[in-house]
Amino acid sequence: MATTRILLAIVLVSCMAFTVQAENMQLDVNLGWTSLDAGGSDDFKSGKALAVHYDYFLKPWLAADIGLYLTDKTLEQSRQDIVGDYRTSIQSQAILLGVKPRYRFESPYEVFSRLGLQYWRTELEVEEYFGTGIPGGTDSAKDTGYGYYASIGGAYYATENVLLQIELRYMKQLDVFEGKSQYPFDLAITSFSFGLGYRF
Amino acid sequence: MNMVFRPLLRTYLPGLAAAFFLAGCEIDGGDNQPRVPDQGLFMYAEANRHEAEDSAEVVAAVFNDGEAVNLVGGDVFEARTETERVLLTKGGYFDGSYAESLPVDNGVRDVFFNVVHEPIEARADRWYPVDILNIDPGPGELVGKSAMVSFPQSVTINAPATDTFYNSINDGINLDWDLGNGGNMRVLASVECTDGLAKSSYGVVVDDEVEAGMGVDDGVHTIGLDKFIYDLDLGSSTIKFVSDAALMLLQELLNKLSAGNIDPDFLLKKREANPIESTCEIRLFLQRQLNGQFDTTFDSGTVVGSTSAEVTVIYLPPVTSN
Repeated sequence: MATTRILLAIVLVSCMAFTVQAENMQLDVNLGWTSLDAGGSDDFKSGKALAVHYDYFLKPWLAADIGLYLTDKTLEQSRQDIVGDYRTSIQSQAILLGVKPRYRFESPYEVFSRLGLQYWRTELEVEEYFGTGIPGGTDSAKDTGYGYYASIGGAYYATENVLLQIELRYMKQLDVFEGKSQYPFDLAITSFSFGLGYRF
Repeated sequence: MNMVFRPLLRTYLPGLAAAFFLAGCEIDGGDNQPRVPDQGLFMYAEANRHEAEDSAEVVAAVFNDGEAVNLVGGDVFEARTETERVLLTKGGYFDGSYAESLPVDNGVRDVFFNVVHEPIEARADRWYPVDILNIDPGPGELVGKSAMVSFPQSVTINAPATDTFYNSINDGINLDWDLGNGGNMRVLASVECTDGLAKSSYGVVVDDEVEAGMGVDDGVHTIGLDKFIYDLDLGSSTIKFVSDAALMLLQELLNKLSAGNIDPDFLLKKREANPIESTCEIRLFLQRQLNGQFDTTFDSGTVVGSTSAEVTVIYLPPVTSN
């Protein structure tokens, strides 16, 4: 509930600011490589992700940040234990809401960061195989919840409106499958991305 | 496998394995299988309590027509006392062998082995929520089979004294222990040698096959040092390197006694130092074994409860002059 209130507060502040100062907006589209860590003995391969952000600048140095983050299906290395061979995969989407402070240098560069909360939806899939004559298969489960995100990046103004940017991001999904399983976990997604920004 | 060649392989496999050891090669534990009959369902289980340790090493395996059977899909060995229970989730040194530590105290005499179907517990080491993501094929045909072992009287070694030195492989180690109540005796040993530059580590077993009379629980036996120390260049026909489930048991015991700091392949390490020319620490584990009982649905089996005690002796090579 506390997280919901914080999300609502950020929305309200953003809307109020919008009515006062309807200018200086930015749209960012980034593609990146992800590294997933579920906090246990997981061993995920690198994955890919798409991030789209809409920024509304409340001040020249501060914007409200709304985003959408989509990962592809990220596979774990195949593993074997006494039960059989298995492999998990995770696919996740998140709605992001936060702030984006920035500093623009005299030269055509700026640095920025993002900090905020996320509402995520994650699907975990497991494939298991036990050997000849014993049926294996696939099982999956979905969950939704809250978390946070933070990032730091740099941008180069190719023109007054178009930016080339890179960004290092850390996202944490808290208590995945809490209440559904006795073994919930936190999912951390670290990503390095590059993309384009458009100011209007 | 061809039925003609299988007995031949079983006859010559120990020799081949020994030759492989002596060649100084990295040893693959994949075929360290206990001697099992070519036909029928065979049960292997052992529970060993070492000195006054508060846990026993338990190992188990099932063989069908001479081949180890992997328990999969949530089927798993369970070892149980009246108050404690563990699942054998550690894979052993050959396919189909499993091991674990079972908490015990002085009041525990019997250990019950069962094959159970525990689709969630068997996956407990996985990182994800195994209670909601679980492909369960159901219990396999071995589920429900069981065995029972009892611990024999504990072992007390009176001689040799710890760190007794020996200088020749022609020396004899005079073992002296308190008489028991009719168990079968054997010695497992881990040997670690260093010549100052290189190291060797390996395990050996001395039982009735290696040394006549060793198995008798009569309180005394002299074992030649050549049952533990050999010449890497010449090889040895007197050494029986530890293999099969005894290897798993000894490795687990060493692991426990070293608080998990032992190399997981300590007894399979590449041999580089020549033992006969090296200083060797010989950890002798004197074991008293008592046969247990297995389910009548098994055709045959080796099911034992055992207790053990340890003494370490040192081999110092004779000084040579140039």
